[in-house]
Amino acid sequence: MSRSDVLVEADWVQAHLDDPGLVLVEVDENTTAYDKGHIKGAVKIDWKKDLQDPVRRDFIDRAGFERLLSGRGISNDDTVILYGGNNNWFAAYAYWYFKLYGHDKVKLLDGGRKKWELDSRDMVTDVPARPATSYHAREQDRSIRAFRDDVVAAIGVLNLVDVRSPDEFAGRLLAPAHLPQEQAQRGGHVPTAKNVPWSKAAEEDGTFKSDDDLRALYGDEAGLDFGKDTIAYCRIGERSAHTWFVLHELLGQANVKNYDGSWTEYGSLVGVPIELGDGK
Amino acid sequence: MSAPGADGCGAPAGGIEVTGGAGSQAVVQGHVTSAGTPVPSGYARLLNSDGEFVAEVPLGEDGGFTFYAAPGVWTLRVLAPGGIRVERPVSASTGMITELEVAV
Repeated sequence: MSRSDVLVEADWVQAHLDDPGLVLVEVDENTTAYDKGHIKGAVKIDWKKDLQDPVRRDFIDRAGFERLLSGRGISNDDTVILYGGNNNWFAAYAYWYFKLYGHDKVKLLDGGRKKWELDSRDMVTDVPARPATSYHAREQDRSIRAFRDDVVAAIGVLNLVDVRSPDEFAGRLLAPAHLPQEQAQRGGHVPTAKNVPWSKAAEEDGTFKSDDDLRALYGDEAGLDFGKDTIAYCRIGERSAHTWFVLHELLGQANVKNYDGSWTEYGSLVGVPIELGDGK
Repeated sequence: MSAPGADGCGAPAGGIEVTGGAGSQAVVQGHVTSAGTPVPSGYARLLNSDGEFVAEVPLGEDGGFTFYAAPGVWTLRVLAPGGIRVERPVSASTGMITELEVAV
């Protein structure tokens, strides 16, 4: 798999906006930004309302995903281009989610909404009308999703990558610094996890660094053993979806899982080991 | 705007409003202006004392941004269309709201 199979540049998207069989999807935690302006033709997905079960802490099920994509007018044959704010965190999460349910023709817009805005490219408020489809999803591909027991079993055995900021990793902050720090769970990280903040994989404009830089970042600098399986986590699983994309899709590492329960689950478990302090 | 908490992690435009004082938080907030006019399209990034990225919010309609930092010295970096890139040092203290006005 090469970079062009999973990532498209803003210039390319601009030139292919009207291509049939191509669907742009803006994904964010809420749709305020989309409602103010989005890339022409893009439909929206709300990370919370559309992708999360409203009662249980889990994803919508297969039938729910089928209803969602059918309602958005996305068919199984469409190539889906995902983008969003927050340096594509939620778009990367949606990418992983689309893969989880077996949609293979999906790519990320490199740099997401941020680069598009910083480039002063056109945005519109028109919401496209796409006729409903009959989308068919596959069963979840559990080979890319980790659960809490997988993480505990991976301590000292597999690569664990904590992609939060150094201050969250150390236990000084419980959430990213744009959020209030009043979470109830314990601070710290999973023992033996390496701290490679997601932001190190991205340039300032939100685009991904080169494959060579990324390989050096996770290999030489962080000391990941590329011969081992890897689990990535953050606080709620969207920043780690960004890192899952880097390791699994850009660098082609086999057996990389995203732990979507992440620190809000692990840091609230009774009896599991936690380590404090800065990365080594 | 969605409520912040364990079920969300995103950064809404302008950041999450501080209500009822800083409490136990170390808040850094302010506005970005150009020739006295708010810059509504751009990003504020918070970097730690090692220059490492910590957090980022899109600027609000009024050019506003809010961060909940830990006590210490930070760098605020503003990115905006037209290649604008401006930095300011800022100190945060627990229980304090540190105001920062940035002209670009």
